[in-house]
Amino acid sequence: MKLCSRQILFFLAAVAPVGKMVLMPARLAAAAGNDLLFPALAQLLVQAALIFGVLLLSRRERTLFSLLEGAAGKWFARVVCLLFSLFLLFAALLPVIEQKIMVRSIFYDTIPAHLVFTPFFLFSAYLCSRPLAALGRMWDILAPLAAVGIAGILLLCTGSCDLAALAPAGAAGWRGFGSGMTVTCSWFYDSALLLGLIGRFPYRKGLAWKGALCYLAGGAALLLFLAVFYGVFGEIAVLQTLGFARVSAFFRALPVLGRIDYLFVFALAFVMTFYVILPMQEAVGTVAEAFGSPAPLAPLLSVGVNLAMLAAVYALHFSPSATVSAMTSSLFWIYPIFTAALPLLLALRFGRRHARIS
Amino acid sequence: MQPEKLTGDPARDGAALRALLPAQDILTFRFSDARGRAYVCLFADALTDKQLLAEQVFLPLSRYAGEQTEAHTLAQHTLSPEVRTEGAPERLAEEVLAGNPVLFWEGADEGLVVGTKKVPVRAVAEPPTDVAIKGPREGFIEDVKTNTSLVRRRLKTGELRIEMLTVGRRSATSVALCWLEGTCRAAVVEEVRDRLSAIDIDALPDSSYLTRFLSSRPYSLVKQVGTTEKPDIFCAKLAEGRAGILVDGSPIALTLPYLLVEDFQSAEDNFVPAFRATFTRFLRLFALLVAIYLPAFYVAAQLFKLQLLPVKLLLTIAGSIRDIPLSPSLEMLLVLLVLEVLNEASIRMPKYVGMALSVVGALVLGETAVSAGFVSTPAIIIVAFSGIGLYAVPNLIEETSVLRLVMLLAAGSVGTYGIVLLSALVLVYLVTTENFGVPLAAPFAPLVARDLKDCFLKYNLRSLKMRPASLASPNKRRQT
Repeated sequence: MKLCSRQILFFLAAVAPVGKMVLMPARLAAAAGNDLLFPALAQLLVQAALIFGVLLLSRRERTLFSLLEGAAGKWFARVVCLLFSLFLLFAALLPVIEQKIMVRSIFYDTIPAHLVFTPFFLFSAYLCSRPLAALGRMWDILAPLAAVGIAGILLLCTGSCDLAALAPAGAAGWRGFGSGMTVTCSWFYDSALLLGLIGRFPYRKGLAWKGALCYLAGGAALLLFLAVFYGVFGEIAVLQTLGFARVSAFFRALPVLGRIDYLFVFALAFVMTFYVILPMQEAVGTVAEAFGSPAPLAPLLSVGVNLAMLAAVYALHFSPSATVSAMTSSLFWIYPIFTAALPLLLALRFGRRHARIS
Repeated sequence: MQPEKLTGDPARDGAALRALLPAQDILTFRFSDARGRAYVCLFADALTDKQLLAEQVFLPLSRYAGEQTEAHTLAQHTLSPEVRTEGAPERLAEEVLAGNPVLFWEGADEGLVVGTKKVPVRAVAEPPTDVAIKGPREGFIEDVKTNTSLVRRRLKTGELRIEMLTVGRRSATSVALCWLEGTCRAAVVEEVRDRLSAIDIDALPDSSYLTRFLSSRPYSLVKQVGTTEKPDIFCAKLAEGRAGILVDGSPIALTLPYLLVEDFQSAEDNFVPAFRATFTRFLRLFALLVAIYLPAFYVAAQLFKLQLLPVKLLLTIAGSIRDIPLSPSLEMLLVLLVLEVLNEASIRMPKYVGMALSVVGALVLGETAVSAGFVSTPAIIIVAFSGIGLYAVPNLIEETSVLRLVMLLAAGSVGTYGIVLLSALVLVYLVTTENFGVPLAAPFAPLVARDLKDCFLKYNLRSLKMRPASLASPNKRRQT
């Protein structure tokens, strides 16, 4: 069982955008107002360029650990891989908290018991103990599901959307743009996710271009969703923390048909579950590869990682907003180290050597 | 102590073989030819066609007056088309037990095995589990020879290989491994042969025993071996590049490698227009999803997420469940269990009692339970709809009925999110299961775009030029 390049493209085109639809739209609207599309577009372009670079790195078909080991020795590689895994766990915290907020809000009419979210960690522990390659097959199924989910929600809310709310463009100014860029750093770490997967799929000719284009195609769907989201809610968009579940609630036939839009929401929630677990799964895979044979380590690590995440999520239970704010406003600088600096350094190091060899 | 070889004295050899087979239904017949040479024949009473044996062997040999008594000369003088020689006493004993008489004569160091087996078999009939309105109505029966003939009749090619194996220490059941040479991957045939040869079991009463030995995850909830009772489906699967297994005593044939999507297809799909086949396949998928998810979503909607239901329906349901003493999940679980019990009982009961049971179960029990206020009408409707949906894909009933109960428990305890998580778990399990190197969830995961033409979608037969790529057949082209 191996990942294949098509599955990577599916991930970039359909799965990656879904993870940015829960809390990010409202946060972005708060930071950039009606100009929320510009920071998102900028982030997408930056990420697409980085993804292009990371996919070029994957031409060597060596994992991150293997690349680092070849560059500076085993211990250096281990330290960097450990830091990278810690970053992935840190990056996973925000989506896990998002997932928890989402589950408690959209899956229940009344506030449920705290424990309802615990099965997520059981599933996550199981998935983390599976080989990363198993994810590829999931993406084959998740990609059309995500496409149907996004298309369904967008279709249902077209009637209540007023895109004029996005005008006038540039009202938030550079400050709003900068603020939007800062806030969204915590959601745009797909290049780092891809970095954890290199060496686990074969490189096919043109994959780097295709990857960047697929990411931009998925990004276009995200931008459309953001536009519709702001078009539906206008200035109160900042209050719609779970916009993707509420944006289609104004569809006129819903009182007769019931909340059929929830079918699409559940489909997206289903896709999101895998997207949220991916950083943890990669962290386990990277550490297991760096520090020993994956067979005995991976299951233990997956249980440990999920227990730690469970503890963190429940410890931060009473201050989710403060946690999200801290991660998006104060700790945002951690993200570019691993999403941009590390891939760029690797690209410089190995891109040059590759040129010399060729 | 067992004799190692024959002595050439028919009386002693017959007695030695009789000692190996002391059962009372093993008979010995002694006769002599025109020159007075003695012959001894051992055969199993109920398994041998005695009239045929007398006509083809006893009568011609009793008139034989020639000098030569080599095996091939005697074989020529019998009138049986199926004669062979065997030297090892234990092999001869196996032949007798299989219904083939064994003949000894003076000076012979080998026994003559005559193929006059007579096995009581039922007629070839339409299988009750796989009924087709259009298309062939023949079904496999319990006799492996008849079944191989049904296959051979449909695939008149030298590429059809049928390898006979024996499985079961005591039952010595004949197992026919069938494949089309050059169409089925050699690795699959080899792997099947290895797995069959490695089976060490007392008896093999049915082909279902083999499925556990042929599965890569033997304790799995999900089946990993295809089954069919119809020779036309069996042959179509062989032609796609699969290997097939026929077991003596079982009308159910096995096919490998198995894809989950196979069970959503029906033989009839090939005999109706493609658009109709596509529609019915999607209908089967819908019915299966309804069977699994409807009770669970109903409970989750009642307990945790009322908004899922339209307001008017919600009011109707609210009116129906107002005085029900049980919680929604307990009520649904109870009704589902009653359905399962009724189902189990009606299958096992004699036909006429079964009809009465249906009346008692469906009308009396259901009606009374609702009027007594134990369960609500919507619960009965939901379970009935789910129960009907289950039978739209009959080959997956075992898996689906268990999954439905587990899904219900998840919905009753965690709610809709429990359903989502459990579905994710099942999906991960499905996509990571492989058997004989073929993923169970192909052509969806991994995606094999070409194979989607004959999946839930059914393209016109003329566009299905290639064999399924998921099976990796060495002979890729099906038609030009």
